[in-house]
Amino acid sequence: MDATQKQELRRLFASRLTGAVRMYLEACTHCGTCIPACHAYASEPELRHSSVGRAENIRRLFWRHFRPQGRLAGWLNEAVELSEDWMEKVYETAYTCTGCRRCVTYCPFGIDTQQIQSIAKLLLIGAGREPQVLSMLADMSIAKGENVEATKASFTQAVQGLEEEVIARWRSEAGREAIPIDEKDADLLYVALAGKHSIIPAAAIMNAAGENWSLSYFEAVNFGAFVGNPEKTREISQRIIDEAVRLGVREVAICECGTAYRVMKFMMGELPFRVVSFVEVIARYLREGRIQIDPRKTEQRLTYHDPCQIARNGGVMEEAREILAHLTRDFVELQPNRVENWCCGGGGGLVAMGEKEFRMRSARVKAEQVRATGAEVLATACENCHTQLSDLNEHYALGMRVAFLSDLVSQALVASQ
Amino acid sequence: MGDYSIAKTLDYKGLPCPMPVVKISQDIGSVDVGEVIEVLTTDPGSLADFPAWAKTSGNEILETQQDEGTIHIFVRRVK
Ligand code: SF4
Ligand code: SF4
Repeated sequence: MDATQKQELRRLFASRLTGAVRMYLEACTHCGTCIPACHAYASEPELRHSSVGRAENIRRLFWRHFRPQGRLAGWLNEAVELSEDWMEKVYETAYTCTGCRRCVTYCPFGIDTQQIQSIAKLLLIGAGREPQVLSMLADMSIAKGENVEATKASFTQAVQGLEEEVIARWRSEAGREAIPIDEKDADLLYVALAGKHSIIPAAAIMNAAGENWSLSYFEAVNFGAFVGNPEKTREISQRIIDEAVRLGVREVAICECGTAYRVMKFMMGELPFRVVSFVEVIARYLREGRIQIDPRKTEQRLTYHDPCQIARNGGVMEEAREILAHLTRDFVELQPNRVENWCCGGGGGLVAMGEKEFRMRSARVKAEQVRATGAEVLATACENCHTQLSDLNEHYALGMRVAFLSDLVSQALVASQ
Repeated sequence: MGDYSIAKTLDYKGLPCPMPVVKISQDIGSVDVGEVIEVLTTDPGSLADFPAWAKTSGNEILETQQDEGTIHIFVRRVK
């Protein structure tokens, strides 16, 4: 690694050194409380799979490059110099951690592993060593924002092609499209993913509630956040923010995608509209009596996986229970659940990167937790979790059906009695 | 349909996010430069995602067609 590159990486590192991040790097007492909290460690007890183990890879660089005692007597803190070899450790810190933040809730100092991980991700981008697939996906999203006019007509046509499937779940009111797009003065902008499974159930539910809504042209997921690039994260979100402002909506509802929700809700600063997860929207409709669901339509025993970015890191937990109480008479909680729920093991970009062998190995504890419920249906509210849980279901022969909350709700909609 | 032959048809129907784009970025390498892949999908978002991917990866979307719920995307490998 030449001096110019080292200088650039040092600059990137410094750009993340807020007061809080410095505290996270300096305050660790190596007490080890966080170690068993990580699903990867619980599945495969090796120190490198623990929060503190991963953080040390970055902490040792910090001592060397940002602390005088690290420069003068590096051996004291095992300080290390930035180097090509050490970048492999940095990669391990960035991409064996899902950013689930379960460890944070156990650390007596609240040391935020995800903030330390974000330094690792930024250094990898600076060194051109980040997973190319994540950068490719982020660039695609940005290019889509620049060319939206060129594809509006074909996208609208494809969405219209889904209307029959929406109406099969819930007829829409006369004179209203089953999937409205570009509705000026809509109250709610719904931001889906590319797949129809994230559009049809939500459309049926919103139509049943008589919502004045509009479907976004853009996908909710933010690969800028997965790869840890702050500028791209902002650009990708900005497409949706601009659309929401143009339509004058009061609320932006993010589909069942944990990262998309967390980024829009907590990382975009003050916005001229409310940001909610679609889970909150469904719970609100039930609370206000705007939709009814028949619990007899979900007869099998059901359990629910709290997606880390919606529950622990997003605060949406009881809303899911409100929905579940309407949805079934045979609900069993995962143990532990809510803030303490085990991560599915697929976050932080791992699903998009493939990494199946590691994902399955590091989430053994998740599979065991799910199996212990004896449930037949495993519901969740995040695309990423859904994919990972489906892979675990197959890999560990759990014999369950993995389902989105919105899908279960839309299948059980009934007219008010 | 334009005047070209299809080297391969790939079925991406029902794949979760972001697999259609991840798969095309891998599968494009399985045909020669100049050859065309037909992708079948049911994702409305692919109609915007694939042109954006083509622009950033330097490939070409020749056309898209929609019939009875299936979307056909014709991708030419350029590089
Ligand atoms: S954020 Fe999650 S995956 Fe990362 S170290 Fe903490 S518990 Fe493990
Ligand atoms: S619990 Fe906190 S202080 Fe203890 S080792 Fe883990 S990060 Fe360090």
